[in-house]
Amino acid sequence: MDTFLQQLVNGLTVGSFYALVALGYTMVYGVIRLINFAHGDLYMVGAFAGFTLLSSFGGALQHLSGVLLIPIAFIVPMATVGILGIVIERLAYRPLRHAPRLSPLITAVALSLALEEGAKLIWGASFQVFPSILPTTIWHLGGVAISAMQVLILPVTVGLMLVLYLFVGRTMLGKAMRAVAIDQDAAQLMGIDVNSLISLTFFIGAMLAAAAGVMSGAFYSEIDFNMGFLIGLKAFTAAVLGGIGNIPGAMLGGYVLGLLETFATGYISAAWKDVFAFSILILVLVVRPTGILGERVVEKV
Amino acid sequence: MTVTSTSIGRSLLAAMCVVLTIAGAPAAMARPARAGTITIGFYGPLSGSSAAAGQDMLNAMKLAVNRVNKAGGLLGKQIQLDAQDDQCTAQVAVQAAQKLVIDGAVGVVGGYCSGAAIPASTIYHRAGLAMITPAATNPKLTAQGFNDLFRTIGRDDEQGLFVSGVINKLHAKTVALIHDNTVYGKGLATQTQLSLTKKYPNIKIAFFDAIVSGSKDFTSILTRIRDLKPDVTYFTGYYADGGLLLRQFEQLGVSGQFMAGDSNNDPTFIKLAGKYAEKALISTAPIPQLVPSAAPFVKEYTAAYHAGPGAYSAYTYDAASVLLGAIKTAGSTTPTAIVTAVAATKNFPGITGPITFNAVGDRVQIQYTLVTVRNGQFVAARMSM
Repeated sequence: MDTFLQQLVNGLTVGSFYALVALGYTMVYGVIRLINFAHGDLYMVGAFAGFTLLSSFGGALQHLSGVLLIPIAFIVPMATVGILGIVIERLAYRPLRHAPRLSPLITAVALSLALEEGAKLIWGASFQVFPSILPTTIWHLGGVAISAMQVLILPVTVGLMLVLYLFVGRTMLGKAMRAVAIDQDAAQLMGIDVNSLISLTFFIGAMLAAAAGVMSGAFYSEIDFNMGFLIGLKAFTAAVLGGIGNIPGAMLGGYVLGLLETFATGYISAAWKDVFAFSILILVLVVRPTGILGERVVEKV
Repeated sequence: MTVTSTSIGRSLLAAMCVVLTIAGAPAAMARPARAGTITIGFYGPLSGSSAAAGQDMLNAMKLAVNRVNKAGGLLGKQIQLDAQDDQCTAQVAVQAAQKLVIDGAVGVVGGYCSGAAIPASTIYHRAGLAMITPAATNPKLTAQGFNDLFRTIGRDDEQGLFVSGVINKLHAKTVALIHDNTVYGKGLATQTQLSLTKKYPNIKIAFFDAIVSGSKDFTSILTRIRDLKPDVTYFTGYYADGGLLLRQFEQLGVSGQFMAGDSNNDPTFIKLAGKYAEKALISTAPIPQLVPSAAPFVKEYTAAYHAGPGAYSAYTYDAASVLLGAIKTAGSTTPTAIVTAVAATKNFPGITGPITFNAVGDRVQIQYTLVTVRNGQFVAARMSM
């Protein structure tokens, strides 16, 4: 039983990271039908932005008390990467908005490589050790070890997702965003500023990826230029699993994938971890391409 | 004919692509060795997750070359060092090897990851170049029967034998072995398993599985190990994973002693494991800081690079010294003459002890030891059990 509960905690932790990154994928796809393969790399840039912030000024920030330090360590990288998201959309995707669907997809792959190689030039090819900013306390409840960080990650992730869900579902801006997702031209005729809404979508998605990146840096303490690649693919899997374009679906997909991967590793074999994850992707695409929560999409003719 | 601005833009872009391709080409073309110099090669991971270890090796190599150059070079010529990155992958290591051969290297020192060194060695062998590895420890490397392949470090079967002895001395009843599915990691785990079953059949190997290198979260596999309550958990893989593994091992409260193979003997391991680093026992060939004869080298290295040498720096320095010494004895830069001279090496006064190669090119009498961490430094572990 202890083992089962421990694996549950492990799986929820991993799942939180997948879910946060999957949200960005799903939002962008929902609004402009683009699979932004550079999204995982925004997660990486977020981690490095946090790293640079914390190690500049001679590491002076690290001596701040946690109440001040933690918000700063998250908000600054989130804002930076959010702006980067807007810039990426403006420079790389907007010129291709009316191009065939394959063109922005190829651009996304190129952008992903550009971000990785750029990070390699700035921060080096070898990994960096992220300063420890979060409390390292560990509680042993019966046979289950939970760190203070794990206790924080789950509510923070779920909270961010809830805010996003309410924003899209309950606010005027969210309504406009949904209108753009349904029909861009009609939305424009109704007086909605389509361009700024798409920018906003990229901003929010990039911000969430950056939050996940900083959290990963603080939690695992090892960051490298390549760290966004695998999680990008996993989060994409999670988004597809939950139903791409669907916000609660991305969250659900992230947690389901995290748990499946953890239990498969724990009860079958660890060497096959990624095989389990990507088998799920193939299975979903074959059996139910719309994912768990996705509606049937009618292809426009 | 009308020319629109877009088509101008397009043709400009196409032209730029062509120019860039041509500009990039000379770097890939053969560069003949500069007249009046002798080129020796180095290859190792200069980027990627093992880059720190590769850089520590290259730094030592530079010291050895500079020392010879300052003393007037060899055969009246200066030594030129040609360093190539192998990224610890087979593919890139083979490309690096071809590059060194084309560049006209007369002998090569290098190879950190066995998975990269083994395929690279076939290229050097085909070119008839001497290759001396200071860090690749997989037995298969020298088992290929190449007459021009040498090693200044030990073999993983020797390390596995040593580790099984340590596990026995720790009075362990059950052992968990974790590797990372690399040639090195899986090889060392398998060798340890073999030695344990052969010499100590009473010790039960309760767990044998691999992590996915670079996945950062190892809690799932460690939770499984925690259930088995092994007396010793031995990890064979590289420090980028090892440091995190130890931290999560302790955080989850897994019982028993954490041990790791020689590739965890790197300062970055200590940084990653944080306060838990002191809990580790690492099997390794003697590190320079603990070998009295290497003291002047440690001093010189620290002065030059403002950081202590890495685990394989001294072995690289020795490999370079053997190669440079062979060029001197051979009195020639013909690769075959150099190979013959390296093979004849007997009791060469290396900073890691006397160096003699056996028939297959392995260094004889290499002793493995155990280190642990105190105050952020690697120190000899005392076996008080």
